Amino acid sequence: MSSMLNIGISGLNAAQVALSTVSNNIANASTSGYSEESVMQVESVTQNTGRYTVGSGVNVAAVQRAYSQYLTSALWSSNSSLQSATTMSNLTGTLNSSFSSSGNLQTSLDNFYSGFSSVANSPSLASTRQAALGTASSLTATYNTLGQQLSQQSSQVNAQIGGTVTSINTLTSQIAQLNGQIGQASLGGNPNTLLDQRDQLVQQLSGLTGVSAVTESNGTVSVYTSAGGTLVSGNQSYNLSSGANQYDPTSTDVFDSSGNDVTAQLSGGSLGALISYRNTVLEPAQNQLGQSALALATSVNAQQAQGLDLNGKQGQPIFSVSSPAVLPSSKNSATAATVTASVSDVSQTTSSDYILSYTGSGTGTNGWSLSTTAGQSVALTANADGTLSANGLTFSVSGTAQTGDSYEIEPTRNAATSLAVTMTDPSGIAAAAALTATAATANTGTGEVSSIGVSDATNSNLLAGATVTFGAGGAYTVTDGSGNTTTGTYTAGQPITADGWSLSLSGAPASGDKFAIAANTNGLNDNSNALSLAALSNSKVLDGGTTSVIGSYANLTAQVGTAGSQATAALTTQTSLYNQAESSQQSLAGVNLNQEAANLVQFQQAYQASAQVISTAQQLFTSLITAIQDG
Amino acid sequence: MMRISTSWMYQQSVTTMLNQEGELSNTQNQVSTGLRISVPSDDPTGAAQVVSLNHVLAENTGYTNNITAANTRLSTETSALSSVTNLLNSANDIGLSAINSSLSSSDLSNMATQLTQLRDQLVQLANTTDGNGSPLFAGTSTTATPFVQSSSGSVTYAGNNQQSLTAIGQGLQVANSDPGSSVFMDIPAGNGSFVASAGSGNTGTLVVGANSVTDTTAWTAANASGPVNDTITFGANGTYAVTDANGNPVNDANGNPITGTYQDGGSITFDGLSVTMSGSPAAGDTVSVNADTAQNTQNVFTTLNNMITALQSGNANSTSLNNTLNRQLESLNQAMTSVSNTQVSVGSRIDTLQQQQSSYSDLSVTYQSALSDVQNVDMATAISNLSLQSTALQASQQVFAKVQGLSLFNYIQS
Repeated sequence: MSSMLNIGISGLNAAQVALSTVSNNIANASTSGYSEESVMQVESVTQNTGRYTVGSGVNVAAVQRAYSQYLTSALWSSNSSLQSATTMSNLTGTLNSSFSSSGNLQTSLDNFYSGFSSVANSPSLASTRQAALGTASSLTATYNTLGQQLSQQSSQVNAQIGGTVTSINTLTSQIAQLNGQIGQASLGGNPNTLLDQRDQLVQQLSGLTGVSAVTESNGTVSVYTSAGGTLVSGNQSYNLSSGANQYDPTSTDVFDSSGNDVTAQLSGGSLGALISYRNTVLEPAQNQLGQSALALATSVNAQQAQGLDLNGKQGQPIFSVSSPAVLPSSKNSATAATVTASVSDVSQTTSSDYILSYTGSGTGTNGWSLSTTAGQSVALTANADGTLSANGLTFSVSGTAQTGDSYEIEPTRNAATSLAVTMTDPSGIAAAAALTATAATANTGTGEVSSIGVSDATNSNLLAGATVTFGAGGAYTVTDGSGNTTTGTYTAGQPITADGWSLSLSGAPASGDKFAIAANTNGLNDNSNALSLAALSNSKVLDGGTTSVIGSYANLTAQVGTAGSQATAALTTQTSLYNQAESSQQSLAGVNLNQEAANLVQFQQAYQASAQVISTAQQLFTSLITAIQDG
Repeated sequence: MMRISTSWMYQQSVTTMLNQEGELSNTQNQVSTGLRISVPSDDPTGAAQVVSLNHVLAENTGYTNNITAANTRLSTETSALSSVTNLLNSANDIGLSAINSSLSSSDLSNMATQLTQLRDQLVQLANTTDGNGSPLFAGTSTTATPFVQSSSGSVTYAGNNQQSLTAIGQGLQVANSDPGSSVFMDIPAGNGSFVASAGSGNTGTLVVGANSVTDTTAWTAANASGPVNDTITFGANGTYAVTDANGNPVNDANGNPITGTYQDGGSITFDGLSVTMSGSPAAGDTVSVNADTAQNTQNVFTTLNNMITALQSGNANSTSLNNTLNRQLESLNQAMTSVSNTQVSVGSRIDTLQQQQSSYSDLSVTYQSALSDVQNVDMATAISNLSLQSTALQASQQVFAKVQGLSLFNYIQS
């Protein structure tokens, strides 16, 4: 009788636990990270009476959560990829809209060049000159705006890297804390709630950076970065930290708990995407935009110097642009040399940044070696004046370099934001050719001037005037403005050069013939230099003479667009992969309300049945008592 | 058996609808803007093409504007040159009538006045400016009045010899003006090859008439060792001999000195040139023959001034007046040739401009349509996508409404 009562009570208890579990499942149906729980019931140990055995009811062995290590790990890893793709897609999306809204760079460039065309059509008209300077200002404004949008995004990305590192540290310390609690609670059963919470935190962490998580035998989980560094081990967490890049203080890098720079090794999650976006999309875009600004300024200023302005002076620069940034490493020795860099040939520049390092005398070129920030080595050329050149850049070193010192060179990063118009006087536009050459009227030969050009605009005697006098056998003497003479022999078809000018003749000059070269001050209504300025629109000044400034912008557009469309495609792929992973995981661990409804009914009935058992036992007991009383 | 998590099912339905809404809004945006590419990532290659095509179109517009500007300048120049031609024709008529008729000195003086007016008018025409006030015939000089007239009537040129050019295509430039020096100033003297003029001390009635090069080979040969600078000296009864600048006799092809006897109205021929004369020379009268050189030019204003001076001071029908007028009319003819050559050259430049302009307008159409192919959305496709996507969204919504009602709890309430 009592055994029946006990069995009934054990059933009642089991049904009650099961009903509570079902209730908890229903309550947490929408809780993220919750794993469906179920009751594990076992038969109670039977009592052997000797001849036969009777069961002694049911025991609740455990309340278990539906869990698969495999499916959960897959979910974590696909979450890393998904968050990485999402971040990348958001960032490239912002970049692309910068390019569509400020995408009038092409229009600005065309307006700017056609400003020179207008000047060429009426070279001495003040209004067209003023308008041409105006288009120069709006062109720099477009460059500046676009450049600023990119550098703003760069500072946002750097700030986000710092913020993400903080979030990672918060999560890892929470995981370590939960690990500690789980270790203690595991002794008394399954700490389902703690496990769910901890898995949820690892899931969040995987969204921030790529991690691998290993469950230890004591139920704790160890978490490692994609670089292999430990983030959590047992109840101990190891913090990452963010700080300034050793070269560029505005660039944020990530350091592990021992202080090593692990930026390059981190991948996955939004942190990986931020780093990868900064290195492979944003900085190249900034550099390329700067490269086109630099090419614009250099080519226009150089052409200016080849002409005369309306005041009869040699053309002065229209634009100013910052020279390449040289950033010494914070690890350099205290007595490190000072390195300066300048652009010597725009057409040879690239959109890379470089690391220039001193490897000690007897190595490299004069002890120096150069590589791109991506690690590709670049050959340095030693110049006669002690400077070093590579990829259109010239480096000069002052002071004594120490082995191990290194410098980051950012040739064009800030060129777009620093581009400015320095010319204020519209008459400064050098529309006229710098020089004229005239044959003396008394010449007896057939020699005629076919062209006079500027071969070196920096020559101080360029505009000083000169006379070329021919002697016998093609010998000639150049007498410059100061009376100095140089001699040479004329070869048909070869130009005569001196003082930065270059004179081409046709026909055969006779002995005694003279040609006078003078500044074109009586031809200031000339437009030949304005035509050359306008023709810069198609002049291939970049990439070794294959790309024009507008072409470079078109390439940049394609590059930014490609980054954007790749990110969008990757996001689509990663979303569907994540959905699959989550669908599989949820299929196992999620709560199905229909199932819970059925279970509810089932356990309700079990409860009722057990209650009935108790009731029956009570009736039996009562019948027995009654029989005894009656009897 | 696939077990579905209830919350996941709801989440998925919502995600699906959100995605569909996103696509729908994207298509809606395409339809409303008409653009297929709104950000470069929509089509990276296309976006780069849009930049290039817009650049080409902008450049075409630029060249077309340049053509218009050059056309204006050249048309102004053409009309100025036509006026100059008319003016020179009038001067020519006056000169001819002064030679051919017997006139009183007051008639000559009236003619001189007429020529003075023509000269002043010519100076004005030579200083013609374009729409922006820059002179057409100043070369590339900034001077506002390239032709400066002194109180004596002589004219100097303040411009230069350069031509300014207009870019009408990549590497294609057309001169948009002609320097005044080549049109009005550096005009070859005489008949364009040489000047034959009667000596100023002549006492006979010899008048030098038409003269020209008749045998170019012989003329070139005679100039091979330096420009011809010969003198025909007459003896008694029209006999003559030819000597060079150093006084040595000039020989013919056979090496014999050139001599002969001149008859009234006849011509003297040597060195490939022929000089027709009229009247009779006195003994000792000379006629000089000078080949044109770079220094040997006479500007059109000087020609007119010479005519004016001759008419003002000369006696009607005198030998010296006729000789002077003949020489100046020759020069005037050279000036007219120079102007008409310039006109022809301007005309051919205008032709080039027009051809180029029409080719740019064709090209613009081509590039515009290429641009629209790359950049613009195909409306038919976009609209059909739009209706397809909105139908799909509606379907998702209906499915959600159906599915959310399916729960076992609905049946076990009682």
